[in-house]
Amino acid sequence: MLEIEKISSGYGGALVLRDLSCQIPAGEVSALMGRNGMGKTTLLKTIMGLIRARRGTINFNGQPIRDQQTHLIARAGLGYVPQGREIFEGFTVEENLRLSLLRHGSADSPQALRQIFNWFPILEERREQRAGTFSGGQQQILAIARALIAKPKLLLLDEPTEGIQPSIVHDIGLQLARIARETGLAILIVEQNVDMIRTLADRVLFMENGVIADSCDIDTLRRDDSLINRYLSV
Amino acid sequence: MDFLPIFLDVTSYILVLVLVALGLMIVFGMMGVINMAHGELFMIGAYVMLASQSLGLPFIAGLLLAPLIVGLLGLLIETLLIRHIYLRPLDTILATWGLSIALKQIIVLTFGPESHSVAAPIDGAFTLGSVSYPLYRLLLMAMSILLIAGTFWLFLKTSFGLMARAVIARPTTAAALGIDTRRMYRLSFVIGTALAGLAGALVAPIISVDPQMGLGYLVPGFLSILVGGAGPLAGVLVGGAVVGGTSNLLTVWISPVAAMITVYILAILVIRLKPEGLMGGRRAK
Repeated sequence: MLEIEKISSGYGGALVLRDLSCQIPAGEVSALMGRNGMGKTTLLKTIMGLIRARRGTINFNGQPIRDQQTHLIARAGLGYVPQGREIFEGFTVEENLRLSLLRHGSADSPQALRQIFNWFPILEERREQRAGTFSGGQQQILAIARALIAKPKLLLLDEPTEGIQPSIVHDIGLQLARIARETGLAILIVEQNVDMIRTLADRVLFMENGVIADSCDIDTLRRDDSLINRYLSV
Repeated sequence: MDFLPIFLDVTSYILVLVLVALGLMIVFGMMGVINMAHGELFMIGAYVMLASQSLGLPFIAGLLLAPLIVGLLGLLIETLLIRHIYLRPLDTILATWGLSIALKQIIVLTFGPESHSVAAPIDGAFTLGSVSYPLYRLLLMAMSILLIAGTFWLFLKTSFGLMARAVIARPTTAAALGIDTRRMYRLSFVIGTALAGLAGALVAPIISVDPQMGLGYLVPGFLSILVGGAGPLAGVLVGGAVVGGTSNLLTVWISPVAAMITVYILAILVIRLKPEGLMGGRRAK
């Protein structure tokens, strides 16, 4: 589904990703783990075209997207939930969601909203409320819902559990796993929280110094902690 | 001294000022572009009205042509100039300042440096007891209120406005949600310039139309944004009322010089005490 071949990317003069290659298959939840500063967020931003890759190719469903503008990458079927959630605090819940639908035209929007409210009932209860008054966990749910409502084929999630209370983290993990199973949505999630990974992921990629250093399936990770110790402990 | 005519004069000045400042603020809030040529676009709107009248076209034709021609000019400016430098405030100030000089010279070369007058479409006066007031000024006020309300409606109630406010608050997130930010920048710039052109055409019958007329609205327009705050659109209403009201009333009661001095001192005080403006900052998320 998403094929990344030898991309290099970074900020200003500094390269963060160095000839990174990886494949994100359809219908699977892939997790990206690694210590801070290894380039996980840079990889997601490069996929979305928010940072321009200097070299290499990125193909999404066979189409090259490396030099596309960000909004066209999104319209090609990539959903993005950035680190820090970045919801629109001054907008209501419904406005935040509607914003994602505007590019489609409004024909299927009531149906799409109903689907989202079905998955996340709290958003329906508070649809007229300003998003800025939400707790961190509720904002995260809204940010995920805002990406899902556009029916992406691949969802990129950047540290969705950061600064959120554990009970909500667990709920979000279960709900995302259910949605992925029911809809065939592929997910690439950057995450430090091992419980979240165990709840959600099918496969784990470990990142170190701007490349994918290792990978394993989730059963291997459940049996054996050594990869986690090697790539995550400080 | 009769209070009513003064009140009406002040109100019509404030409304035109708000119209000019709204266009400025859309462009600034959206793209971070401080458009020094905004006053000249306002002036060109007035000259379009002048040209259309000298061709014998009716007033309404001038009112339609001014925003159309100035909006097209805006599209041209955005394509050739602004899109290459937006989000670089200092560069945009220099570039649009140069543009304002060029536009002024083009008008001087075409229409001459002298001032012209434009005939109002209606001549009569509205009389109430001992007070009589030109009807066109009342029409101008009504049109301005409609335009201001229309702009607020566009940005606060429509899907376009929702996208525009999203791009203002978080441009990269908006793009990641599939919104074409470049197209939004371009549309907003054209709307802002068309609004300036329309304001110029509307106000042409009550002021003298000359190549320098833009500056007289650009400076108070900027002051209105600074005083009111460039965050919520309502800031322009407050800023325009404070700046326009003070300068106009003091011009009548004391002198134009005293009015300008007071307005600048007031603006400095507001910026010193409330740097975000009376209604809050530009990052209205």
